[in-house]
Amino acid sequence: MTSPLIELTGITKTLKGQGEPRPILSGVDLTVHGGESVAILGRSGSGKSTLLSLIGLFDRPDGGRYMLGGRDITRLPERKAAALRSAQFGFVFQRFFLLKHLTAAQNVAMALVNGQGWLPRRKRRAKVMAALDQVGIAHLAKQRPPRMSGGEQQRVAIARALVREPGILLADEPTGALDTETGKLVIGALHAATERGCGLILVTHDRDHAARMGRVLQLDGGVLNPVTEPVIERVGA
Amino acid sequence: MMRLSGRLRSSLIIGGQGIRARKLRTLLSMVSLFLGVLAVVVVQAGASIAEHALLSEAELTQGKDGTRQLFLPTEGGALPVTLDTLRGRSDAVAAIQSMAIIGEPRVRPVNPGAGRIDDPAGSGPEVVCDPRGCHQVGDAAEAPPGKAIALQLTALTGDIRTFRPFRPYAGQWLDFSSAPSLSPRIVLNREAAKGFARYHVPAQMRIDGATADATPRIIGVVDDGGYQPAAYVRADELLNWLPETALAGDRGASMLVLSSPDATAVERTLRARLVGAGMAPDAIHVETLDARGHARTELAIMRWIFLGMAGLVLLIGVAGILNVGLATVGERIEEFALRRAVGTPRSLLAGIVLSETLLTGLLTAAAAIGVSAVALRAVGAVLGDRVPLLQGIVFPWQAGVAGVVAGLVAGLLGGFIPALRAARIPIATVMRA
Ligand SMILES: Nc1ncnc2c1ncn2[C@@H]1O[C@H](COP(=O)(O)OP(=O)(O)OP(=O)(O)O)[C@@H](O)[C@H]1O
Ligand SMILES: [Mg+2]
Repeated sequence: MTSPLIELTGITKTLKGQGEPRPILSGVDLTVHGGESVAILGRSGSGKSTLLSLIGLFDRPDGGRYMLGGRDITRLPERKAAALRSAQFGFVFQRFFLLKHLTAAQNVAMALVNGQGWLPRRKRRAKVMAALDQVGIAHLAKQRPPRMSGGEQQRVAIARALVREPGILLADEPTGALDTETGKLVIGALHAATERGCGLILVTHDRDHAARMGRVLQLDGGVLNPVTEPVIERVGA
Repeated sequence: MMRLSGRLRSSLIIGGQGIRARKLRTLLSMVSLFLGVLAVVVVQAGASIAEHALLSEAELTQGKDGTRQLFLPTEGGALPVTLDTLRGRSDAVAAIQSMAIIGEPRVRPVNPGAGRIDDPAGSGPEVVCDPRGCHQVGDAAEAPPGKAIALQLTALTGDIRTFRPFRPYAGQWLDFSSAPSLSPRIVLNREAAKGFARYHVPAQMRIDGATADATPRIIGVVDDGGYQPAAYVRADELLNWLPETALAGDRGASMLVLSSPDATAVERTLRARLVGAGMAPDAIHVETLDARGHARTELAIMRWIFLGMAGLVLLIGVAGILNVGLATVGERIEEFALRRAVGTPRSLLAGIVLSETLLTGLLTAAAAIGVSAVALRAVGAVLGDRVPLLQGIVFPWQAGVAGVVAGLVAGLLGGFIPALRAARIPIATVMRA
């Protein structure tokens, strides 16, 4: 295999709320290759979202090293981080974060209209439609979010994450607000993206969904551990 | 280039979406700002119009800016020396003022002392005081009233319009290039013309100190900006009828030389010859006209007071924009965090917030300028006949500039803090919610 897409070594992060500063991550190691899918399990409050926000360059780690495609980006200035977020990452959250006043197509186009490069309207439209088609809701392009079901909205969000053809998708409990059936549909859409060569890191509480990923990790005590086979088999059973 | 235009286009799209999603808010911001910008526009327009009016009146009654004025006495040989030095010149012109009465002989004119035709009672017989005591000028007050008009007669050695752009009203202006005529040609101002139109006045002109009466020919009427009846005549034509000593007397005649700023040689020659003729050098007063400067200082304090008040009103509008802007950013926290998450640079987000308020300011300025321009035109159309100042009035461009500047400044002040807030929204905390 080529140099890994993502390589985290000894990542630490302490969050300061109102009270005492609390160490959340205390030495996370993680390697993800292109096209690989990884599930991250963990108790609520264990720091899964915190880890994802470091990987997605929303925030910077306190210590450790972050290599992206063989390049050290541990201390990246914000301007370059924004460019990388645009070019390399796609995000899907538990809440869909769609803009109510925009149509599905405009919500997807938001990732293209971000001041990072420019596509003429026609090309933009083609990309947006392709992304919507990929998650099976091209017919809803002109619909606004308030008139869509949760599953449809989440698929719009996935299309928004996919439209720039990112190297890796970061999904933070994308099925948390959906029923089981719809959740499966959404995970299927994410899975399909990995088959096209896109990496995927999925944070989830659902072991069924986790079992569909190539690898399953558990965040516990601020570090990531592989989940042993029996656990998966047991939860998968 | 590519990156810049991509940023610009992105910001246009995002800003446009933001404004379209909040039309009512944009409108409310504009309403809160409108009065302030309107006040600035109106104050500036008023000041510009007043300054323009002051200036054009000053040009008529005193002269164009930069014109040099020499005040000279008429006695002691100054008059012949001046007439001789300035003969045939156009860059320096002497104007000798005296009183004249045109009409029936030995009567009291309808406007004793060259008062206004409509309001002659206000003036009464003119009284001049000198070391020998005070005495009445012109015909004795006890003379019977008759058909005669008193006016201020100005004898000119050249075309004074080079310095004072009198506006032609009817007929012709004096021709200084032809040979002097034996019957003096005179041009009236509008106030004098009013008198000639109202009273049937015989063409006989008496001038203080003259030995015989002249028969003037009225060849035209001009607007000289003056309120008193006045007439203009070529000095050489007038002097066919009276000795120079008649003008050089102590009876109220005065002499003024107007010269252009670069006619220094003539001025020097005139000065030297006057001193040679026995005049004290310090008796020659020179003054350079600066009506613009005077008008400015006269208006400056007023303008600043009014602009200050307008600024306060504008500040209330800024507070309104700021209030709406902060509320909007608060409402859009998730949108901005999301946009940052998909890679929009924070500077672009700040720029979008700022340009939305700047656009609001500009739209408000356009509305305020449009309203003032239309109102000014309406006022000009309705009152133009009665108030000459408002005739053919145009919206001063300075007021437009002031409005745009006020709108932009308000947009900048009102948008700055919201823009900073927008740029500082952390992505992580919002996305974790
Ligand atoms: N801004 C913050 N300041 C201080 N502490 C924070 C902050 N944000 C989160 N935390 C704390 O950090 C810990 C980890 O939060 P995080 O959201 O990463 O957990 P999580 O694993 O994603 O939980 P969940 O499964 O409920 O989403 C939590 O205990 C939380 O209280
Ligand atoms: Mg979480």
